[in-house]
Amino acid sequence: MAGSALRRLIAEYKQLMSNPPEGILAGPSTEENFFEWEALIVGPEGTCFEGGVFPAKLSFPADYPLSPPKMQFTCEMFHPNIYTDGRVCISILHAPGDDPMGYESSSERWSPVQSVEKILLSVVSMLAEPNDESGANVDAAKMWREDRKQFEKIADKLVRKSLGIPA
Amino acid sequence: MRAAGVVLISVALTCAVVGNAYYHKKQFYPSVVYITKSNPSMAIIYVQGLILVLMANTFLRKIFFGNLRAAEFEHLMEKLWYAVTETCLAFTVFRDDFSPKFVVLFTLLLFLKSFHWLAEDRVDFMERSPVITWLFHIRVASLLALLFSINLAMFNYAYNSTIAKGPSVQLVFGFEYALLITVVLNINIKYILHTIDLQRDSPWDNKPVYMLYTELIIGLMKVTLYIAFVAIMVRIYTLPLFAFRPMYFTMRNFKKAFHDIVMSRRAIRNMNTLYPNATPEELAAADNVCIICREEMVSASKKLPCNHIFHTSCLRSWFQRQQTCPTCRLNILRPTTTSQPSRQQQNQQPPPAPAAANPPPQSTPTPGAATQQAAPPPQFQIPTYWAHLTTPPTSQGLGNQQGQNSSTSQLPSGIVTGVPVFTHSFQPIIPLPPVPTPPPNLSNLTEEELRSMEGNLRAAVEARIETLQRVQLLLDAATAMMSQYQTAARSASINLPKSDTLLSQDDNKSTTSSMDNNRDSSSCISDFSMPSSTNGIADLRTSEVNEQLTPDSSSLLYSDRILRNNSLSSTPTPTPSTSSTGGIAPGELENLRQRRLVRDQSVD
Ligand SMILES: [Zn+2]
Ligand SMILES: [Zn+2]
Repeated sequence: MAGSALRRLIAEYKQLMSNPPEGILAGPSTEENFFEWEALIVGPEGTCFEGGVFPAKLSFPADYPLSPPKMQFTCEMFHPNIYTDGRVCISILHAPGDDPMGYESSSERWSPVQSVEKILLSVVSMLAEPNDESGANVDAAKMWREDRKQFEKIADKLVRKSLGIPA
Repeated sequence: MRAAGVVLISVALTCAVVGNAYYHKKQFYPSVVYITKSNPSMAIIYVQGLILVLMANTFLRKIFFGNLRAAEFEHLMEKLWYAVTETCLAFTVFRDDFSPKFVVLFTLLLFLKSFHWLAEDRVDFMERSPVITWLFHIRVASLLALLFSINLAMFNYAYNSTIAKGPSVQLVFGFEYALLITVVLNINIKYILHTIDLQRDSPWDNKPVYMLYTELIIGLMKVTLYIAFVAIMVRIYTLPLFAFRPMYFTMRNFKKAFHDIVMSRRAIRNMNTLYPNATPEELAAADNVCIICREEMVSASKKLPCNHIFHTSCLRSWFQRQQTCPTCRLNILRPTTTSQPSRQQQNQQPPPAPAAANPPPQSTPTPGAATQQAAPPPQFQIPTYWAHLTTPPTSQGLGNQQGQNSSTSQLPSGIVTGVPVFTHSFQPIIPLPPVPTPPPNLSNLTEEELRSMEGNLRAAVEARIETLQRVQLLLDAATAMMSQYQTAARSASINLPKSDTLLSQDDNKSTTSSMDNNRDSSSCISDFSMPSSTNGIADLRTSEVNEQLTPDSSSLLYSDRILRNNSLSSTPTPTPSTSSTGGIAPGELENLRQRRLVRDQSVD
């Protein structure tokens, strides 16, 4: 019997295919391995990431959905809640009791109720509203707080880069 | 290509060195002496040896693993790095033992370790891979057997040499191989479990339990080994600093496995004894999908005190991680741990406590009690786990209701976090929660009554505990009332046209809105678990025909391929595509580009 993780991932993939949320695209990156996904996220309108198309990869643990997947942007990102290597740091991706920043309440943490779709929607809203309390990228958090203009300039550059438009 | 060049150069150099020596000395022994005397020659020989070992390693890896996945390679490099640094630390303790033999033994150990890591990754991968070939089984089984026998032989060798020659660096090697033996054991058990699981036609409910116990036992073995090793090293040499990092992780894992087992056993026992099986009607009433596995619930489902229903097997594996309701995070362990003593206390009524701490309930009719008599208790007061333990309170006397009160309001988790009722029903009239009897006014107590609360006698302690429990009841009631007010305020504001956040989340179902009820809705900036609105990207909607709306399993992979080819390349260059599955319509990239370009021009 194939593992329950695999069956749930297939179910989620079907769900995403039949009823895709706008501005989000996600699916397994190879046919052999349903535990590594790629995703494209469109920067939400009305924010400094508007219109950018940001690729990311999701890797699921063998005991998914009991443990959360990991998510990492594969393009250059500059955001308070994204590490410089692209790893995303939001509460929905952390299991309770595993709190790298020590600021998250357990009600926002990972539980099997969450899903790929909810993660990606959370990431979209994270792009819209950074949480500068989390120190995944301290420079970005500082700039977001103190020098919004400069932050928007960098974000704009990233958007252009993601679209292949020369700056 | 470059590797081949390096190998060629190295072989050529070695030939030159050996040829040169033989040319000078003409005989075997003198040539060997000649080479060992010359440092440059020796360097070349060492490099050659290293390259040969690397080649053998690559060759063996190809035989047993084929091509490595990217993740496997990453893991390998990461672990190799730690292993090398830790061994460099170990060098500092054994400076005197440093010799070519040491280097050879160390390299061998490193290679064996790398094969263990790879084997572990491979076996873990069995859970994720849909197809396991015979080749896979042959490879893994033979590799595990080989690794086990090598470990055993090397451990034996280290043990004998330590016994014969006294403690040396062989201590470290012996310890390392002993550890590797436990690793092989662990991989072996996992491999067997996965194989059995794959052969089965139905899900194997007990597998996570076996996995957890395996982890515990292996963890125990490792911790014992580490402690023994450190003890020996401290007695003979010095503190083995290089062993501390892995020892710390081993101990942490062991502690976690132990904790998980204890907690999950408790939670599963609660589940089996206290929580009812979901009836077919309940299954039909809900939308019938288990939120953990996203599969239909037909049978063998349990209803938690918060009314959330899941597969029994899914809950069992979830309780190994956390002992909460997956949907609303109601703590599964807390209700029984608090309700059990209170039940006992109820049975013993009246306790042998003096009257001071236990005034007769009838004599102090509080306003809360009056309200309760007038209005039937609100729905949330009687969590299901309690409802089936006692009879409903309405038909009973006031004294019993007091007991009922105390038992329900002693469960703050049931009231504060178990909000399922709030989510569905916005009652027009929200009855006040009952207020339990407040603690007696201490100034009214007689000297005797006060004295009876002093001392360590059982009666005195019980009296004090009872007073404290009353205080707790008051607090709980206050909390419950507060959350009632909040709900009332919220359900009142939902009719206003401007607050559309709750309405827009209706499609998220009760699961998320139940979490929302716990939270101050306005002040939560760190909350990304619920996107407040998605209309930011709403205009991406394009009305193209979805050809493959519900792909079944066979077309799934097909559409997956399309998806990958068309839109999921990591450098999103727009390609003309025919597929319209997915949340970003084809051509949308080009649209976004154009729009940005237009905006740029208008800015200029
Ligand atoms: Zn289930
Ligand atoms: Zn629940």
